Amino acid sequence: MENKDVKKTQEAKNNVSENTNEKAEQDMYKEMKKRIRNEKRAARKSANKQVNWPVTVLLILGLSTVIFPLYMTVMIAFKQPSEMTNSIKGILSLPKTWSLSNFREAMEVTDFWNSLGNSLIITLATVAISILLHSMLGYVLGRMRAKNKGYKLVYFYIISGMFVPFAILMMPLVKQTSLLHLDNMLGVIILYTVFYMPMNVLLYSGYLTNIPLALEEAAYVDGATTFKTYWSIVFPVMKPMHATVAILTALGTWNDVMTPLVIMSGSKNTLPLAQLSFQTQFGANYNLAFASYLLALLPIVLFYVICQKQILSGVVSGAVK
Amino acid sequence: MEEKNLESMEENKDMLAEEHVSEEETPKKPRRRLDRKQTFMLITIPIVFLFFLFNTLPLLQGVMYSFTNFRGYGDFDWVGLRNYADLFTDVRAGKSYLFTFRLALVATIVTNVLSLALALGLNGKIKFKSTLRGFYFVPNVLGALVVGYIFSYIFTYIVPAFSKLLGGEGVSMLASSKWAWVAIMIVCAWQAIAMNTIIYISGLQTVPEDVYEAGAIDGATGWSSFKHLTFPLILPFFSINLVLCMKNFLMVFDQIVAMTSGGPAQSTESISYLIYKNGMSGGQFGFQSANAVLFFVVIVVISVMQMSFTNKREEQL
Amino acid sequence: MKKKIKKNTALFACVLMLAGLITGCGSTQERYGVTTVTIVQYKREAVSFFDKLEKEFNASHDDIKLKIESPNDAMTILKTRFVREDYPDIIGIGGDMDYSNFVDAGILSDVSDYPGLKSIKQSYIDILEGLEFVPTEGIYGVPYVANAAGVLYNKDMFEEHGWKIPTTWSEFMRLCEEIESQNIQPLYFGFRDTWTCLAPWNALAVSLADADISAQVNRKEATYEEAYDEVADKIAALLPYGQSGPFAYSYNDACIAFANGETAMYTIGSYAVPQIKSVNPDINVDSFVMPASDNAEDNVLNSGIDLQFCITKESPNKEAAYEVLDFLLDHDNMQAYLDDQNAVPCKDEEFSLAKMLSGVKSYIEEDKMADFHDHHYPSEMSVDAMIQTYLIGKDKEAFLKKFDKDWIRYNRDTIRKVEQYEKEHSK
Repeated sequence: MENKDVKKTQEAKNNVSENTNEKAEQDMYKEMKKRIRNEKRAARKSANKQVNWPVTVLLILGLSTVIFPLYMTVMIAFKQPSEMTNSIKGILSLPKTWSLSNFREAMEVTDFWNSLGNSLIITLATVAISILLHSMLGYVLGRMRAKNKGYKLVYFYIISGMFVPFAILMMPLVKQTSLLHLDNMLGVIILYTVFYMPMNVLLYSGYLTNIPLALEEAAYVDGATTFKTYWSIVFPVMKPMHATVAILTALGTWNDVMTPLVIMSGSKNTLPLAQLSFQTQFGANYNLAFASYLLALLPIVLFYVICQKQILSGVVSGAVK
Repeated sequence: MEEKNLESMEENKDMLAEEHVSEEETPKKPRRRLDRKQTFMLITIPIVFLFFLFNTLPLLQGVMYSFTNFRGYGDFDWVGLRNYADLFTDVRAGKSYLFTFRLALVATIVTNVLSLALALGLNGKIKFKSTLRGFYFVPNVLGALVVGYIFSYIFTYIVPAFSKLLGGEGVSMLASSKWAWVAIMIVCAWQAIAMNTIIYISGLQTVPEDVYEAGAIDGATGWSSFKHLTFPLILPFFSINLVLCMKNFLMVFDQIVAMTSGGPAQSTESISYLIYKNGMSGGQFGFQSANAVLFFVVIVVISVMQMSFTNKREEQL
Repeated sequence: MKKKIKKNTALFACVLMLAGLITGCGSTQERYGVTTVTIVQYKREAVSFFDKLEKEFNASHDDIKLKIESPNDAMTILKTRFVREDYPDIIGIGGDMDYSNFVDAGILSDVSDYPGLKSIKQSYIDILEGLEFVPTEGIYGVPYVANAAGVLYNKDMFEEHGWKIPTTWSEFMRLCEEIESQNIQPLYFGFRDTWTCLAPWNALAVSLADADISAQVNRKEATYEEAYDEVADKIAALLPYGQSGPFAYSYNDACIAFANGETAMYTIGSYAVPQIKSVNPDINVDSFVMPASDNAEDNVLNSGIDLQFCITKESPNKEAAYEVLDFLLDHDNMQAYLDDQNAVPCKDEEFSLAKMLSGVKSYIEEDKMADFHDHHYPSEMSVDAMIQTYLIGKDKEAFLKKFDKDWIRYNRDTIRKVEQYEKEHSK
């Protein structure tokens, strides 16, 4: 039974790649279109019937591990410092008045729109450059590392960069960026692009192992250059990975304090940098801080929701192969 | 959801078809084209150079500082191998290695099991899919200050109250040098699950539906379908997640600062915490550079072993 | 597919343009003949005071333009600015190990020729000199304000029950017992935040051990094992009067507990008062000196330099910087700072002090003060964590032995410098 299953899997895999090996012909696409339409109809029927309720309920129950801390966060964000207590009842109680004054003040203290703008520029630029550069490198290394020792070495060289503690790089980088006149936002973006390279290359090249080589060979035989094949075939197929990389990279850059702090030395504020004002040496205004964190949370969650859609619509490319 | 996927699948096919047609119609001019190898070199060299410039070069400087008593600024003296000799006799550093690796190992297992289950659930045929996915993502976004405060509260007030109800002593985990690491582990896992789930979900997208259909014909459902069909296919994502988990947990820092500041009784000092706190805020930049170099070497050795292991498994399947 | 490529090219162009935009922003232009003096100061909580001061200065001075920066995490920013050799003219920092390191690294300029220094209390100049690893010729900072640490108490609670301020250790212990006998929590600790362990430690140590004990140990004339024996005993004796499981609670928890009247006293510095008042603005807080010794005469106030101004060696505007310092040290401006931050002035003049300092006022006036001992501990030695470990495990002998052993390890370079200095100056 077990062997059979594995065999089946491999057969399925082979089928998929064989299909792509065949020269693309108009007829085939028409036929496939029809098949897909039928499948779609069938899928619609079955999707309606088979909502997996036990799993849904379980997931909703599991959500309490997220909702409960989130509830506490929201409550604290609305309360005044004088409403803070050390009792369980106190932390769970609703604020005396529902007022947005904390949010307003938090926005003022952090110079919200300005800091948000800087954070957005840094994050979006980092994500865009990362997707462009890292996917290319991930592609090359994903395809070559098994065949060529040199590329395998490059692969491990890049991946190992993941384990360099930032603290050791910090001082040398401060000096280096200032010598190169990169002690500004551009420098921060370049550094992020380098810092996230190991993780993203790992993700991209890992993803590529599930994408058959035959897919690009077809285009290559047609006379497209490697580069064009990459752009027109491989890059779109990696869409779910682009979305994943975008989320992970954006998340890391969005919340990071140290890099902009030491590289820009306070000349420009990002949101997390501005949020440091809520903590002084001998005290913290948790209420304002929490309000501010909730505000900073919204853009990145929105970004995540958009990217999630991309991951899902990427099923296509995965299934087409 | 399914419907939409299929729809865009059609679009993609159409586009592919069109392109082929247009290329056949316009005859190509003969031109010199870069072969595959050259293109690959052209992509690799500049990017690797960038990486070298902003990662390896400063690292080499850091390695240099590990032979000095540099404090991060000002002048310094060369001290030879003193920092390394100190490191191997430093009880505190030794304890931090033990703590960090124990934490990383347990947190990696917990995180992967839970996030894989979560990914399967969220990828299944469930209601409120987007909302659920959205909420499960939140832990990853909350800043360290919030997470630290909330979980300190939970561990200091709420958990002991519950344990008292159940007849326990009602002592906070964070106050016990035996259990504080478990509290840290829980928070680390809580935050990391979101990210690992995303990666597993995108991995699950590469599993073609027909694999399941083929499996279903053979009667493979539930656990056996997962074990023999799904899991082998998402194995690359499993190894990605293992590496990323190890990376995140071995370099744990924020959670420590936010929750225990290394205590109680120095039982939760992680390696990164020591490197940062003593190297940057303190005046031990040289010594902690040596620590960072050692840490780096240890992790690289471990991950090379780990990766060659998982690669072998991938090849076997 | 082709559309996609175009889209990507467009995206790439956008990124490039963005990059150009970012680098485009350059330096600001300066008016001719005007000297710009930049201050970077680390008291983020005093940002509004310094913003106001900056405006006032610039309104009254034509030849000097003052820029005061109060960035978040200023110490990290200062260190990174030093690395890239971008020195502000004046830095406002605390009197602690960072200062010692800056002096040792040769970053600061000698200000002993600054006339304003004469108005500063000698005890604070001494504290500053004591912070130097090896004695130097010059003076490298102008002490501005100090803080005071001891015991904060809830004045209303004390008046209601008729409790008296203790002046000796046995009185203090009796007071704690009396408070406890009335079912009130005498003390509250936030020992999960390890640094709070240093507050009672310092307050006890200033009265029980020599102020220059670290220097003595560096010269191998004393050991901590002897010097801190009593300190270690007494800090452990405080524990039974605190809440149960003090290592579970944070500094903030303790502040909230004190603010809400859950405890009568709190062994922390005056710096905690703003945080306490944010929770309960009406609380009536006062403080007293930790009565560490049974001889009331021996007890001194634990007070260190909270903010001092140093001029960097690289600053080309020393003259202008002195003028700025004159302005900062002006009586009215200083009083404004004291009112804003509840601080203790380092200047030898009459100032009105915050209400919560009335219990320690006589010590300030009589100049009976000693610096925080931890200002001499290297932060990487983590004495706070060592104290926490000791309070959990109660192994005094191991703790003090480790203290001496670790001290030599972490201060190796300093001790070597001291030895060299001793050799040169012994003849």
